[in-house]
Amino acid sequence: MPTPTSRRSFLANAFTGATLGGAICGWLPRLAACAAEQPPTKSCILLWMSGGPSHLDTFDLKPEAPDRIRGEFRPISTSVPGIQISEHFPKFAKLMQHAALLRSMSTVESDHQLAAYHLHTGYQKRAGGVAFPSLGAIVSRELGRRDFPLPSFVCIGGGSRHATRSGFLGPDHQPLDVTDPQRGTDFLAPLTSRQEFQDQYALLRRFDASFQEAYRAESATAHASALDRAVRLMNAQEKQAFDLSREPEGVRDRYGRGGFGQGCLMARRLVESGVRFVEVVSGDGVGWDTHRDNFPRTGALSAEADRGMAALIDDLQQSGRLDSTLVIWMGEFGRAPQITSGGGRNHWARAWTSVAIGGGIRGGQVIGRTDRDAAEVVERPISVVDFLATVCSLLGIDYTHENRVPNIERPIPIVDVTKEVNVISELL
Amino acid sequence: MWRNLVAAALLIHVSISASQADEAADLSELIDRSIQSRLDADGLQRAPQADDAEFLRRVTLDVHGVVPSAESAAQFLDSPDPQKRFRYVDKLLASPRFGEHFGDVWRSYLISPLANEQRMQTDRFADWMAARFNRNDGWDEIAYDLLTAVGKMDENPAVTYLIEGRNPLGVTDLTDLSSRYFLGVRLNCAQCHDHPFVAWKQEDYWGMAAFFSQIQTPGRPKLVHVAGVQDDPRMTLTSLKEADMLEGFQPQPPTFLGGQAWEAEARTTHRAALARWITAPENPYFARAMVNRMWWHFFGRGIVNPVDDMHAGNEPSHAELLESLSRRFAESGFDLKLLCRAIVNSRTYQQTSRPGDRADAEAEQFARMSVKVLTPPQLYDSLIAIVGPPAKSPGINTRLGARHEFCQFFAAADDPDPLRYEQGIPHVLRLMNSPQFLGRNLDALVSRATADANSSDETIDELFLAVLSRRPTADERRLARDHLKTADARHTGYRQLAWTLLMSSEFMLNH
Repeated sequence: MPTPTSRRSFLANAFTGATLGGAICGWLPRLAACAAEQPPTKSCILLWMSGGPSHLDTFDLKPEAPDRIRGEFRPISTSVPGIQISEHFPKFAKLMQHAALLRSMSTVESDHQLAAYHLHTGYQKRAGGVAFPSLGAIVSRELGRRDFPLPSFVCIGGGSRHATRSGFLGPDHQPLDVTDPQRGTDFLAPLTSRQEFQDQYALLRRFDASFQEAYRAESATAHASALDRAVRLMNAQEKQAFDLSREPEGVRDRYGRGGFGQGCLMARRLVESGVRFVEVVSGDGVGWDTHRDNFPRTGALSAEADRGMAALIDDLQQSGRLDSTLVIWMGEFGRAPQITSGGGRNHWARAWTSVAIGGGIRGGQVIGRTDRDAAEVVERPISVVDFLATVCSLLGIDYTHENRVPNIERPIPIVDVTKEVNVISELL
Repeated sequence: MWRNLVAAALLIHVSISASQADEAADLSELIDRSIQSRLDADGLQRAPQADDAEFLRRVTLDVHGVVPSAESAAQFLDSPDPQKRFRYVDKLLASPRFGEHFGDVWRSYLISPLANEQRMQTDRFADWMAARFNRNDGWDEIAYDLLTAVGKMDENPAVTYLIEGRNPLGVTDLTDLSSRYFLGVRLNCAQCHDHPFVAWKQEDYWGMAAFFSQIQTPGRPKLVHVAGVQDDPRMTLTSLKEADMLEGFQPQPPTFLGGQAWEAEARTTHRAALARWITAPENPYFARAMVNRMWWHFFGRGIVNPVDDMHAGNEPSHAELLESLSRRFAESGFDLKLLCRAIVNSRTYQQTSRPGDRADAEAEQFARMSVKVLTPPQLYDSLIAIVGPPAKSPGINTRLGARHEFCQFFAAADDPDPLRYEQGIPHVLRLMNSPQFLGRNLDALVSRATADANSSDETIDELFLAVLSRRPTADERRLARDHLKTADARHTGYRQLAWTLLMSSEFMLNH
């Protein structure tokens, strides 16, 4: 496993840019040595807690706060002295040395859809505005390989589809959605026998040729190329990553048999096979949106999340991939300190917590601080652009890179640098 | 004015009067003349006319949003009537499907894709628009009613626009949407800063926004679904609850775009004043915005591009044409069927989309038609027309309705470019391999095609007519015959052929 020193030097490389590395590698005699030194391209797994998990009841507990705020859960100690988290994350607590708790997330949108969009894309959704790409699409574009048969971006579980699209980066970077990991991907097998499918696909190519030649439309070429890539995926060995039945029963149990646990397992398999970005959604439907019965529901969802993410981190570490795989745990916002009469908590965007794990970060630390009630950030506020710029930097992506968008005069940077951007340097 | 137009519209819609047909023919000529004179100046050749099959499929998709049936395709192609294109257009415009299609299209413009939980309500909204389009109410009247709607969504579907307009943010979104769709201008950049390339200033934006400030927004925005929309005359921009949260907020008195301040009148709401100004025949933006958008709908590109970004620095490709069409559209009482009829009967619309030597220039100058991509609703409705209603498919959750789910799944980003293909691997995998349309449905299609056929050639013809609205070329027929010889079983061979046609670029596009 790389030492902290090699991690540092990788990041230094990442900032000088890929071109330098490419230039050195291009020099043949030193190729072998160079290949050995080059750190692997990173991958990212986003564990998306749909609905907005309560920070007060997961990773920013306030045992000193009054009854109506504190809630029912007790803090427990973790593998890092001085860091405490909810009692419903006992397995993850033992892995705290790999993680950083970002307790000072402070954002502006408190509507589910708008907040999910903002957190995924770094831009607020506006009527008639630009369709911004989500983080997964950005990673696919920046780190994905054209010749790789799987899509570089996979979404597992139901989630906010509007928040995860590729926007102006176009069809090549759309996520492959896996609605139910137990069932695997849909539509990977033909409805007919393989032979019949190959025959009809060959027939299609011949028929299509005359239309393409006569009309020379870019759209026709794009359609043919999408078909080609899809058929390549249907025939690729790598698609076995979607098939969880290839895992031993014991492993499947260890992740938890629910959708989220199995999604984490599939995410691990996908990253192992070379997929760059996997999003796993926890909480179908209402999920973490606990306007009522916050405690029983947050408790149950936490237990499921704990099991899945702990197994994932363990396995990534075992296989030596944890340093090259950034795992993020987050939702669209946190929840209000004040407990409602129905035992729930309402939306709260001003102060909440996200978690970064692995990916070569400096683990075992807490970043930022909220006040006594976890209502306001009192130290080191982290905005959406701060967060995304940090994630990009950790993955070796230049977040200032500008994209040209059809019909838009101004170039659009990956992260909106017209705003003040403070990369969380403590993580690097 | 709008009340008079209601009365007038009721009389007009019954049949196409001779004078209306004449006016349409006159406008078609105007279009062709303007396009031709620019082509002459640039030394570009017009493309030949589209053949009957190309025209038939194109005009049916553009006006009805669906491909023609095999029967009507055969009938049209075989008809010797020299006037058949005119007659077919008359039929399309008289059918209720005309309004339904444009109602659906305008729903996609005006209603937020985020509003998916309100699908029933947006269906009602689309129906409401459809009824107005089918009655051929003037566009000024429809726009006026949208802008001034009050009440609850289930009582007055028009109010859906004010509630579910692109984002649930209220005033700023309504300002953006109304400017883009009714005036053809993008003010949204001016919300936070003076536009660098355009005359719009921040004060223009907030001056327009002020007209929407009287819409009451209850403490929690979601309650507007229950309470409906009412105006509170005491409210101004500064009394908005969320004012401090709005980017670039600047309190301005209600001011019409261009700087004309509004003199408050008793018993006139801000919105009514705005709607009256927008829809007035002398408004410099309103008619142009709709003419350019309709042109964009039919040609895949506007006379001004982007379609809703009209400003002094963004020259139209055919300024005089846009001017005259807009004037005549306003003079006609904003008659949408007239505008559609004039466009689709023009020679310019009926050119082939096959490119010549200078493919891009030809498309930009309208010397040929552009190849558009089927929109998700067009694709869905066409699949149903060809293979029948969708079958249940694992992995496809149709709880909110199969059409809704399909359109959401295949939807591109907001405001898609009609010429740009946006589908990726997940989408084509689903098209190729889901049983939703191409499982048993395909067997049924093949059975129908073979049932009445006396020969394999007739079945091949039937499949081509059903899917591509045309008969095969000699080469294609040979290819199909050869394939049938190698296929294990007749039925399998035909099914593979049908699958092939449904997956072809020609089917996915509107050429």
